[in-house]
Amino acid sequence: MLEVKKLSKRFGGLTAVNEVSLSVAKAEIVALIGPNGAGKTTLFNLIAGAMPRDGGEVVFDGRNLPHQGSAATCLAGLARTYQIPQLFTSMTVLDTVLVAGLCRGSSIRLARIEAMDVLARVGLAGREDQASSTLTISGKKRLEVARALATQPRVLLLDEVMAGLNLSEVNGLLETIRELRAGGMTILLVEHNIDAVLNIADRVIVMDQGRKIADGLPREVLSQPEVIRSYLGDGYAVA
Amino acid sequence: METVLQLLISGVLLGGVYALGAMGLNLIFGVAKVVNFAHGEFLMIGMYAAYWLWKLTGLNPYAGAPVILVFGAAIGWIFYRCLIRYTIYKTEMTQVFATLGLSIVLQNFALMLFSADFLTVKVFTADWESIPFLGGYVSTTRLVSFLFAAVAMVLTLLFMKRTYTGRAIEAVSQDLSAARLVGIDVNKVLTVAFALGIGLTVLAGGVLVPSFYAFPTVGSSFVLISFVAVVLGGLGNVAGTVAGGLILGVIETLVGYLEPDLKEATHFVLLIVLLAFLPNGLFGVGGAEKEGLK
Amino acid sequence: MNLHRIDYRDGDALGAVLLVAIAIGLPFAVADRFYLNLLFLILLYGGLASAWNLLGGYAGQFSLGHTAFFGIGAYSSTLLYTMAGVSPWLGALGGMAISMALAFLISYPVFRLRGVFFAMATIAVGETVRIVLLWYRRIADIPYGISIDYKPGFGRMIFAEPRSYALMAGIFLLLVVGVCYAVSRSRAGYYLQALRDNEDAAQAVGIDLRRYKLIAFLISAAFTSLGGTLMAQYVLYIEPSTVFNTTISIDVALMSILGGIGTLWGPLLGAAVTMPLQEFLRDWLGSAGAGAHLVVYGALLVVIVMLLPQGIVGAWKDRSAKRRRHGGQHARG
Repeated sequence: MLEVKKLSKRFGGLTAVNEVSLSVAKAEIVALIGPNGAGKTTLFNLIAGAMPRDGGEVVFDGRNLPHQGSAATCLAGLARTYQIPQLFTSMTVLDTVLVAGLCRGSSIRLARIEAMDVLARVGLAGREDQASSTLTISGKKRLEVARALATQPRVLLLDEVMAGLNLSEVNGLLETIRELRAGGMTILLVEHNIDAVLNIADRVIVMDQGRKIADGLPREVLSQPEVIRSYLGDGYAVA
Repeated sequence: METVLQLLISGVLLGGVYALGAMGLNLIFGVAKVVNFAHGEFLMIGMYAAYWLWKLTGLNPYAGAPVILVFGAAIGWIFYRCLIRYTIYKTEMTQVFATLGLSIVLQNFALMLFSADFLTVKVFTADWESIPFLGGYVSTTRLVSFLFAAVAMVLTLLFMKRTYTGRAIEAVSQDLSAARLVGIDVNKVLTVAFALGIGLTVLAGGVLVPSFYAFPTVGSSFVLISFVAVVLGGLGNVAGTVAGGLILGVIETLVGYLEPDLKEATHFVLLIVLLAFLPNGLFGVGGAEKEGLK
Repeated sequence: MNLHRIDYRDGDALGAVLLVAIAIGLPFAVADRFYLNLLFLILLYGGLASAWNLLGGYAGQFSLGHTAFFGIGAYSSTLLYTMAGVSPWLGALGGMAISMALAFLISYPVFRLRGVFFAMATIAVGETVRIVLLWYRRIADIPYGISIDYKPGFGRMIFAEPRSYALMAGIFLLLVVGVCYAVSRSRAGYYLQALRDNEDAAQAVGIDLRRYKLIAFLISAAFTSLGGTLMAQYVLYIEPSTVFNTTISIDVALMSILGGIGTLWGPLLGAAVTMPLQEFLRDWLGSAGAGAHLVVYGALLVVIVMLLPQGIVGAWKDRSAKRRRHGGQHARG
């Protein structure tokens, strides 16, 4: 469904993403993990079209996706959320999702009905008229997911969507993600919460200092010495 | 060829004073990230202050420069404490319009107090008005103004690089929270930056008045000139502003020679072109790009 | 724009009736010459401020150079009329076309700029247009000030009755506010709100930033230009310093801010407060010396923007929202 070939990004002297290749199959849930500064969010930004690439290709559903900006990527069917919720500060919960739904050409009335539906799916039913800025962190994260869903994507990029949530909130969100996958959604998520990753991911990809260093089943990858070394340093890498 | 040299020299001399005026703006904008649309009016205040100093005490602007500088710094301090302090955490729109309102107030206050008359200070007698320089003649006032501006700028640069407060100002301009974390008293730094910035601007005005007429709306032209110089040199880059001012002075003088009616438009066109295509200025130090672009 | 795609809401019809009553009814209700003049100014500036508000309030791009479009409108219709006998009704269209072309031309570079820099760039544009006109004037040998002969006639857009002018301004206001309404209640309105709040997130949900900012800009420029033509036809005299004046740029922004930026009624309200205030200040302080009334005006600008940045309508909305929230708190939990 989504294939990334040798994607690179440099910021001056720093190579943030170094020829990273990966692929995600339809209805697969792939987790992207790695220590801070590994380049995960930059990779996301590259795939989502939020910043121009210095090399490599993004192939989406068989078609090559040139860099055309995040709006074009969204219209192609790839939606993303943000690590720190980027809300529309003056909008209500409903309007936030509504405006995202408009990109598919529906009338406002239709988009409104669809938005209410999406809000119910992420568990925000009943909060439609609330000012989005007054939501709790859990609510904001859910709103981000709802907003992304409203654009009717085929691939969802979730950037640390569990960060800041307590255990029950995390479980709730995991449930939602599972339901999405059951509906055919392909999901690539960046996560620090290893428990959540083990719980939900079909495959895990590990990045460190801009490179991909592991790609495989969760438990296998997490016991690889390079992966442990990247997180904890040489002292802990026991084969 | 002689003309070109003449023009270049004229341009540099003019640019020197522009640079001084712009330095003040850069200090304020670069450090406090505050937009001061009333910047030109402080230049105007400097011009009037110098004029009245001369009228009342006979002290010409050059001799009275230290007084003017101190006066300017005091005004800057008051300005910060009474108004700017409250705008720092407000939206940009608020800052823009608040300082714009201040600009209107100051312009018209000057109009009320001093009427629309064009005033200037005659420092040198007719014999000394122009002196030979590098093969041609230059206006003495311009030369002396330039020298004063140069001295002031060098002293400021030394201050910025060699003293604790100066470096603290640079730190705050680069990263306010980080500066706070290393124990810098940000409020004090901002106050000093303002006092210094406005002080330099007022001084620039004082030093300009022998060559230019003072009138209530003279500030309007200067505010844009200063902005262009700052953008040219790169936001926050105090030394770059110097280069920016000089370049601007030269360009304006050249255009003024070729097509006088379009001289005024130089700054505006340059600003649009710069902001659109070279927002980092010529010296690419996180200028308008970091602050101003999306 | 498809009328079916407008998201009508309850209360809109009532607002529309009220606006029509003001814009059309008042010119007939007022008799006194002095007040008709004031009414003309309020309605015209209400429209001008609404045009600015589309770009500044809805799209969040604060322009301080709108006088460029105002002046272009005034000069286009006037020059076409005095030099080629073209009716100002058509001349206005010419002015609008030129203004939109200018807006389109500068949109690419200036929309990349954030807040302050955008404002500075627009000021620069405003001043450049003025200077270019002055320069061109000398080359094309156009007089500094241009007068239009007072010869009443509908085709010439010159009226004998001040009431007619007030009515024309009222229709102008209805036109501008009508378009603003249609935009705000359409997809474009939602998109503008989104991009004003958070450009990155707006792009991530498929919004073409440039396109919608440009739409707002073009409409704003066109209507400002039309307003310039109307003013020229009212005063029957134009010169660069009166129609290419930063004060105009500041005024339309100030009125929108005072009344309530980003709201439909705000700009008109702002104009309704500011115009009489300016008159009053001029009367009261005119004798105290040239510029005294502007000192007060400038001080007011500072006070308003510091204490009431959301304007009158904005503050009123806030208060009723708070009241609603407190009332509904038991229901939400």
